[in-house]
Amino acid sequence: MTTEAALYRLMTWLSPSYPLGAFSYSHGLEYAVEAGLVRDRDGLRDWVAAAVGAGAGRSDGALLAAAWRAAEAGDGAVLDEVATLAFAWRGSAETALESRQQGAAFLTATRAAWPHPLLDALALRHRGEASLPVAVGVAAAAQGVPLAATLTAYLHAFSGSLVSAGQRLIPLGQTDGQAVIAALEGVVAATAASVPASPLDEIGTAAPLIDWCSMRHETQYTRLFRS
Amino acid sequence: MSVATSRYEAPELSPAPQPRLQRGDGAAEIVFGRRGLLRLYQRTPCRVLFPLPEPGDLPVAALLTTSGGLAGGDRLALSVTLEEGARAVVATAAAEKVYRSLGPDATVTVSLAAGEGAWLEWLPQETILFDGARLVRRIAADLAPGARLLAAETVVFGRAARGERFIRGLLHESWRLSLGGKLVWADALRLDGDVGARLASAAGFGGALALATAVYVGEDAAALLMPARDLAEAGDGAATLVNGVLLARFLAPRPEMVRRALTRYVAGLRQAAAGLPAALPRLWHS
Repeated sequence: MTTEAALYRLMTWLSPSYPLGAFSYSHGLEYAVEAGLVRDRDGLRDWVAAAVGAGAGRSDGALLAAAWRAAEAGDGAVLDEVATLAFAWRGSAETALESRQQGAAFLTATRAAWPHPLLDALALRHRGEASLPVAVGVAAAAQGVPLAATLTAYLHAFSGSLVSAGQRLIPLGQTDGQAVIAALEGVVAATAASVPASPLDEIGTAAPLIDWCSMRHETQYTRLFRS
Repeated sequence: MSVATSRYEAPELSPAPQPRLQRGDGAAEIVFGRRGLLRLYQRTPCRVLFPLPEPGDLPVAALLTTSGGLAGGDRLALSVTLEEGARAVVATAAAEKVYRSLGPDATVTVSLAAGEGAWLEWLPQETILFDGARLVRRIAADLAPGARLLAAETVVFGRAARGERFIRGLLHESWRLSLGGKLVWADALRLDGDVGARLASAAGFGGALALATAVYVGEDAAALLMPARDLAEAGDGAATLVNGVLLARFLAPRPEMVRRALTRYVAGLRQAAAGLPAALPRLWHS
């Protein structure tokens, strides 16, 4: 696949306009702002950097890479294992919802617009359900989109969605939001580069406060976001 | 597992045992049936004690590491099986220390299994990571439908009383919970590299010096979410229900705060779920 063709697909699938409803999830950030843990631009940058480099960005990046490789190798048994692990590896009710809903939406949209037997098989074996990193990994492998670029685009979308939530919650202006996106380039690149190099059972997260905030968000009185 | 990241380890990657410092290779295997202990196997430095249970409470097995702690390269394999309908508590007799390692990891594997109608509590006391410690702990539970498990692990980052912090080393703690043969919850915490910065980071640990994780699996888990949440939040923790597993986390800048919060949570939950006394085994308090 040419670089241009890969870019075309990744920019479509991981654009905020792809119909996943990404704008409705804050991954616990709404509670972090409410609790005063994130107050300004630098705080948002640090929070999102932790989510990407030491939180779900890390575990989901590893799951995406494992799914991509299994799909590429045509190994259905390993892919099922990765898909099951990806459902199970969730730190709270709402982050599980976030991943499952977006994964199912991604599968539906991508099977319609970019159909491929591998995506049909994934949907069939898991009753139309998928966690987002697995759905994206399989779609990318199916279409011949390289893993490194997929990881970068995936983590960029994850951080972009959190920054956008942060802009609304703190609130911050557009320029500040873009400055945060620029500042996160390093952690996105480092995570995308390091995650595929480790075996899945040596990957782990180190951001329990994000999980804690996500749990607390379940009973937050006023909420804009579903997570 | 390829964990030999230190240059001191590089020449020792051969599969044969190495003639070097003597390593601990301990094991404990405990099987309870309906009427009590069915089988026990123990290998140094693991010892299992059976303190007299409190009146009206369940039988207790207490694990003890006779070496006084874990050094790099030590391995412990702990296994607890509860047959159909059995009920028991397994705890540790004291906090477990993990000493500074020169390179190799200490590894602890915990295998929990419970048959239908069984009630298993896995309640070890704190694991204290000395600065430079390297610990890989893998906890796996395999539950039959209708079995119930209440399990908690606490990690303390440094010898707080001495003002020591865990600023370098490794902690890898993974959880795999299966119900009826299906994986329902997985998690892995991994602290390595600049551990001190991660523990201090606002979005990482926020300066916490201890972290406790408690899980509850059972058909009544969803019904227990409300009391669990109240119990957790009373100790500044948080609880959630994910894939049918009740999960709670406690982080605090002082280890005794986590101990207090976890004690309250576990005591309250065992009472709410099973009508058991709202107390942890006495050895938690001695």
